Amino acid sequence: MDPSSRAAASTASSGRPRDALRPLSDFPVGLRVLVVDDDPTCLKILDKMLRKCLYDVTTCSRAVVALAMLREKKGEFDLVLSDVYMPDMDGFKLLEHIGLEMDLPVIMMSADDGKDVVMKGVTHGACDYLIKPVRMEALKNIWQHVVRKRRNELKELEHSGSAEENDRQRRLLEEGDNASSVNEGSWKNAKRRRGGKEEEEEEVEEREDPSTLKKPRVVWSVDLHQQFVAAVKQLGIEKAVPKKILELMNVPGLTRENVASHLQKYRLYLRRVNGPQHQGRLDTPYTGSSEATFHSVGSFDGFDLQSLAAGQLSPQNLMALHSVPGRVTNTSIGMSSVDQIGFFNSSVEISNASNMRPPLMQQIDKKQMNFISGPPTSMESRQLGQSQQLVQSYGSMGLQTSEGASGLFNLPSSQRASTTFPGGSINANLSNSLVMQMTHQGPQFSLSQQQNQIHISMPQLPQTRGPIQNGIAGEHDSRLSTTIAQILPNDISSDVLGSSGSNMNVDTSLPGGYMNASSYGSVSHALYADFPNSCMNESTGSCYPLARSAGATSLTSTGMLQDVMPPVGNVEALGSSAGLKGAKDSVPNYDLFSELHQSKSQDWKLQNINVSYHSAQQLGSKQSNIAFGCPSLAHQDSIATIKDGSCRNTCTVRKEIFSVRTEIGHEKGECIAQRNSTILLENSVRVKAEGMSDHSCQDLLFDDNIIPDELMDAVGKKHQEGVVQVDPELSFDGYSSGNSVARWLPPNDATSYGLLQ
Amino acid sequence: MEYSNLRRQAAYMKKSLFDQGYLDEQFYQLEELQDDVSPNFVEEVVTLFFRDSARLISNIEQALDKCPQEFSKLNAYVHQLKGSSSSIGASRVKNECTLFRQYCDEENLEGCLKSFQKMKREHAVLRQKLESYFQLLRQVGPAEKATRPSM
Repeated sequence: MDPSSRAAASTASSGRPRDALRPLSDFPVGLRVLVVDDDPTCLKILDKMLRKCLYDVTTCSRAVVALAMLREKKGEFDLVLSDVYMPDMDGFKLLEHIGLEMDLPVIMMSADDGKDVVMKGVTHGACDYLIKPVRMEALKNIWQHVVRKRRNELKELEHSGSAEENDRQRRLLEEGDNASSVNEGSWKNAKRRRGGKEEEEEEVEEREDPSTLKKPRVVWSVDLHQQFVAAVKQLGIEKAVPKKILELMNVPGLTRENVASHLQKYRLYLRRVNGPQHQGRLDTPYTGSSEATFHSVGSFDGFDLQSLAAGQLSPQNLMALHSVPGRVTNTSIGMSSVDQIGFFNSSVEISNASNMRPPLMQQIDKKQMNFISGPPTSMESRQLGQSQQLVQSYGSMGLQTSEGASGLFNLPSSQRASTTFPGGSINANLSNSLVMQMTHQGPQFSLSQQQNQIHISMPQLPQTRGPIQNGIAGEHDSRLSTTIAQILPNDISSDVLGSSGSNMNVDTSLPGGYMNASSYGSVSHALYADFPNSCMNESTGSCYPLARSAGATSLTSTGMLQDVMPPVGNVEALGSSAGLKGAKDSVPNYDLFSELHQSKSQDWKLQNINVSYHSAQQLGSKQSNIAFGCPSLAHQDSIATIKDGSCRNTCTVRKEIFSVRTEIGHEKGECIAQRNSTILLENSVRVKAEGMSDHSCQDLLFDDNIIPDELMDAVGKKHQEGVVQVDPELSFDGYSSGNSVARWLPPNDATSYGLLQ
Repeated sequence: MEYSNLRRQAAYMKKSLFDQGYLDEQFYQLEELQDDVSPNFVEEVVTLFFRDSARLISNIEQALDKCPQEFSKLNAYVHQLKGSSSSIGASRVKNECTLFRQYCDEENLEGCLKSFQKMKREHAVLRQKLESYFQLLRQVGPAEKATRPSM
C-alpha cells in the first residue's frame, strides 16, 4: 500500500506491524504478493489481476531472482505466487526454500492439473494450487492463506510454548463464542467480522505481549538456517534435539520453541528430499480415501485444525498430510473415511467460511463424531459423500480450481465457502441432544453462499429451546433438523419439523429446505435427497412428508421459492384477522410476525426468531403455547423474509401452531415439544379453541384467501363463545378445496384434519 | 453513423471470434481488467502473447527438427504455450496444445508433427483476426471500453 507506512511498519522479524498501521477494515488490501512466473503474458495478467484486488504486487520472472528478493527483503512479502514449471528452477524447489527460509505461504500455479502435480504441490507444502488460466475470483481469496498460516503459527507457538500460555490461548480459542472476558470477547468479535481477520491477528498479538513469553516470529535467514543445519549435522539428525541445537547455535534471542518448529519442518523437508519411501505411509491412507480432494489443497487445513487441536501433528506434518485426509481422520477420529471426509470437509468448510476457531470446530467435530459413529446408514454415507462432494465442488468454486471458503476448501470461489454445516454432515441418527449440543455450542457460523446469495448467521441459540428439542422425538426429526440445521438454528428447525411434520404433506416445503434449496441447491439436494425415501416409510410419519417436500423443494428450489411469496402476506393476514377477532393474546405474536416479515430477506435473522420466541414466551401461559408456535412462525417469517414463504410453509406453520393449539386445550404451559411429538405420533390433533389461543390458532388456519367468509363467521362465532371445541371435521372439512391450507395433505390419520385438497 | 457502424462491426467481429471458438471466457477476464489505469490492457497482453508464443513456436519447431525424440522437452515447450494461450483465452490454440501434449506422451512423433502444424495455423489465424479486431477498436475510439457482447 503506502510505501512509507509499509517501510515504517515492517520490521526485520515480521510483517505484522505493518498491519497495525493499516486500517483493519482494509484487509486484505495491500497484501504484499510476490508473483513468480516465467511466462510474460501470464505475469502481466496476474499482475493486473492482483492489482485489481488491491494487493501490493511484485513480479518476477525468474525463480532465482525471486528467492534473492525474498531473502533480501525479509518480511516485506506476505504471500508468494509461483508457477510450477520454470526454466531456471523448479517451482517446487522454490517452494521448499521459501518454506524453510521464510515460512511464507506459497501458492502454486500451473496449466497442469494432473493429479500428480497437484499432489506434489501439497506434499511440498504449498498452501494452494491454482490451475491456469487463473481467474480473478481465485485471486481474490488468496489472502486467506496468509491469515491461516498466521493462525496456525500461533497455535504452533501455543503448543510449544509455556503451559500457562498454552492454556490461556487454548482457552481463548476454544471458548470463542462463549467468551466473557474482554480478550475473549474481542476474539469473538473478530471472528464474527468477515474482514476482521486482521483484527484477530492483532488481538492475538496484543494478548501475546502480556504473556510470560513474547514470541515474535522468527525469520529463518539463510545464515541462521545454515547454522541450524550445521548444528543438526554435528549432533546427527537422529540425536538432534531442539535444546541441543539451540545450545550449539548459540543465537541470542532464539528460543527452543523456534528451533523445535524449524526442526520439524526441516525433518519433513529431509524426508521429502531423501525418498518417497518415507512418504509411503502418508500416501497409503490417501488411497483409501474415497474423495478426490485434489482441487482444494487448502481444504486440508481443516485437518490441520483437527490435528493441531489434538496436538498430534506439527503444521508441517499436517501440510504434508494434506493429501491424506483419510490419515488424519484415522488418527484423530475413528470414523469411516467417507463420513470423515465429508465430515471434515464440511467442518473445514465451515471453519473456513465462518472463521470458526479450530478448537470450536474440534469440539463440534467430536460431538458430531460421537453421533456419526452411530450406525451410519448407507444413505447417510452417501449423503455425506454427496455433501462432501458438493462441498468439494463448492470449495473448488472458491479457488481457481476450487476455491473454498477456507483454505480448507478455498471454498466458494467468489468468496466464501458456503456449504454444509457440520450438521449437514451429520446425517446419522443424531439425537436431539446433539442438536442441542450443537446449539449450545453456540457455534457462530457464518455461512454465506458461494454466490453470496445467502448469508446465514447462526447465533447462539437460547438455552430455553432445549426442552423443545428434547420433546421432539423421532430420529427423522433429528435428521431433518440436523440437515436443516445447516441453515436454521437447530431447535427451530426441529420445532418446525416436529410440529408441522405430523400433518405436512408432500407439497409443503420445508422452511429450512427453502433456504437450503435456494442457496445450497445441490447441497441440500444431496442432503435431502435420500431423506424422503427413508422418512416416508416411518411410522410416525410426521416429518417425513416434510422431509420429502424438503427434498422435493430443494430440487426445485427456485421454482418453489417463487410460489412461496404469498404466504407472507397470509401470515400477516392471519395476524390481522386474529387481531380482528379480538384475539388479544395472539396479536402480539402476529405483530411479531409482521415485524419479521418486514425484516430483510436473505438474512436469516435468527435473532428475530429468538426475540419472537422469547417475547412470546413472556406472554401468558396460553401464549406460551403460542410462543411455541412462534418460533416456527418466526422461523416462517425468516423464511418469508428470504422470500421463501410458500403457501406450504405457511400452512406448515399454521399446522404447527394448530397442533400447538390443540395441545393448549389439553395442557397449558407444558412442554410443547412433547405435546407435539405426541401429536405427531398420534397423528391426531384435537383442536380445542380455548380463549385466545384457539382463536389465534384458528385464525392462522383461516387464511384470508383461503377460507370463505362464511366459514370465518362460523369460526368467529365459536370464538365468541369462548371455549370452542372445534371438531376437526367441522372446522376444516369445509376448506377442502382451493385453499392453500387445503394443500396440506391429511396426516396419516386422515380424520384428524379435514384439510384435504 | 460511421462510428456506430464501426462499433457494430467490432462487436460482431468479437462475437464471431467467440462463436467460432477462437476465444473463450478467459478473454472476458482480460477485458474486465482493462480500466482507466490501463486502457489498452487487452491489446497489450495479446501483443505480448503473440510475441512470446512466436518464440515458443520457433523453439518447438527447432526441437522437432533437431531432436524430435526428446518428447519431454517438447512437452515442456508446449506446456508453456498452453499456459499462455489459455491465459488470454486463445481457445483453439490451447486445445491444439493439449492434443500435441497427448501425442508427446504417446511418443507419437507423427501425431506431434501434425498437431504442431495445426497449432501453427491456429496461432496465425488468431493473430490475424485479433489484429484486425484491435485495429477496428482503435478506429472506434480509445474511449471504447470492450464490453461483453449481449449475446
